[in-house]
Amino acid sequence: MTYSEHALKNREVWTGYAAEYAESAKRAWAQEEITWGVWHVPESELRALPALAGKDVVELGCGTAYVSAWLARRGARPVGIDVTPAQLATARALQAEHGLEFPLLEASAEDVPLPDASFDLAVSEYGASIWCDPYLWIPEAARLLRPGGELVFLVNGTLLMLCMQEEEVPPGPELLRPYFGLHRSEWPDEDGIDFHLGYGDWIRLLRANGLEVEDLIEIQAPENAKQHRYPALATPEWARRWPSEEIWRARKRA
Amino acid sequence: MIDPAERALSPHERANREFWDREADRYQAEQAVQAAWGVWCLPEEELNVLGDVAGKDVLELGCGAAQWGIALARRGARVVGLDVSERQLEHARAALVAAGLDFPLLCAGAEAVPLPEASFDVVFADWGATAFCDPYAWVPEAARLLRPGGLLAFSGATPLSWLCLDLEADAWDERLHRDLFGLHRLELPDGTVEFALSTGEWIRLFRVNGLEIEDLIELRPAEGATSTFRSERGLAWARQWPLEQIWKVRKR
Repeated sequence: MTYSEHALKNREVWTGYAAEYAESAKRAWAQEEITWGVWHVPESELRALPALAGKDVVELGCGTAYVSAWLARRGARPVGIDVTPAQLATARALQAEHGLEFPLLEASAEDVPLPDASFDLAVSEYGASIWCDPYLWIPEAARLLRPGGELVFLVNGTLLMLCMQEEEVPPGPELLRPYFGLHRSEWPDEDGIDFHLGYGDWIRLLRANGLEVEDLIEIQAPENAKQHRYPALATPEWARRWPSEEIWRARKRA
Repeated sequence: MIDPAERALSPHERANREFWDREADRYQAEQAVQAAWGVWCLPEEELNVLGDVAGKDVLELGCGAAQWGIALARRGARVVGLDVSERQLEHARAALVAAGLDFPLLCAGAEAVPLPEASFDVVFADWGATAFCDPYAWVPEAARLLRPGGLLAFSGATPLSWLCLDLEADAWDERLHRDLFGLHRLELPDGTVEFALSTGEWIRLFRVNGLEIEDLIELRPAEGATSTFRSERGLAWARQWPLEQIWKVRKR
């Protein structure tokens, strides 16, 4: 098992964030409903996930593992993987508090120490999906899935990445960077390294790894959406007009 | 009296037919170019969208003067050209005679094609009927016309280029002028009606019609590329953001 240079950098950054995120992790673990992204759009509306009961699930970049907790309560058998020990420590504390145990593994989604074809579902919400290099983590996700297994992951909207400001202020309607060449992003006001691809690049990468593209859900903020705590990730008004988040769904060929 | 072809057309197809009947002579004299993809003419040899067409039944949706059909017939395809404009098809007939070729040309829209199901291996368009017809009507028609394993490939505007088009200036800029949510039908100042969908809407529409996603090629013109359609300003925009895309999808 090896860590890429950006995985080590992101671990350092997330070690620093972990105390702050422990608070929101408490709320997320206490929540009954499965919701997606900063607008908390219910899974019952988006229908991004397959039936969960009895499924082996790997969460790639699980952080505090609240998504795995939601899936475990619906009968799935999750394994959470994250590169940051401090985030996993929060997850373990919440497991004990909620009496909900499942395996947590310190590893990068770019190089997962688990056998081939051992999961029915791979999921990532703002995890490996944006913090790992897709050209490394998508092949790993494909390897971990059984034939017919599904990959579901949420990323920042592609338009948002073109309009995102470099400071912690909301995006406007201006394109601030080119689409061609989207891949690795480093931001002046933070040390983390994140990854975003254009639509055609995602489609080619998924297919090259034996994954059929099943859906791309462009998330619209609900009418009554409240401003969340990340200004750079768009205001409700912006996200009513353009998708600030997107969910890809793909299935490993049988 | 309304002829049967006319009766089968939707209102926007009639509006587009009027435009193309009026503009066909000027278009063919000034703008139409050889068989190559998009407004900057990227060669099929480079993009390899259609693959080997020899011996295949190929339908072009919006064939104009049959530049593509002639090129593909010379590579051994059995081509049928469809266009909504009778005047465009007159240009196509003259071009076929000049090329010493003969294949069927059909005056119809792409939303209701008077041909039997499962009769083509390839259905394609290069900024053709697929830009001027409602995707929710023409994609099911294309899926119906394809044999299992058949290819649907078509070029057209990206959703991003629609968002960034300033209609008054007839130019693209670095600003989102309209919403992505709800993107579908656009009425243009020249009287035509065009259609565009978001990437997610396209994917869902293909899949409900039994079409697997194979590729989405976002076209980037070369530095210094020239076009009979677009200004240098359009080129500068299209070097940074994709103005055109080609979908490749395959019937299960």
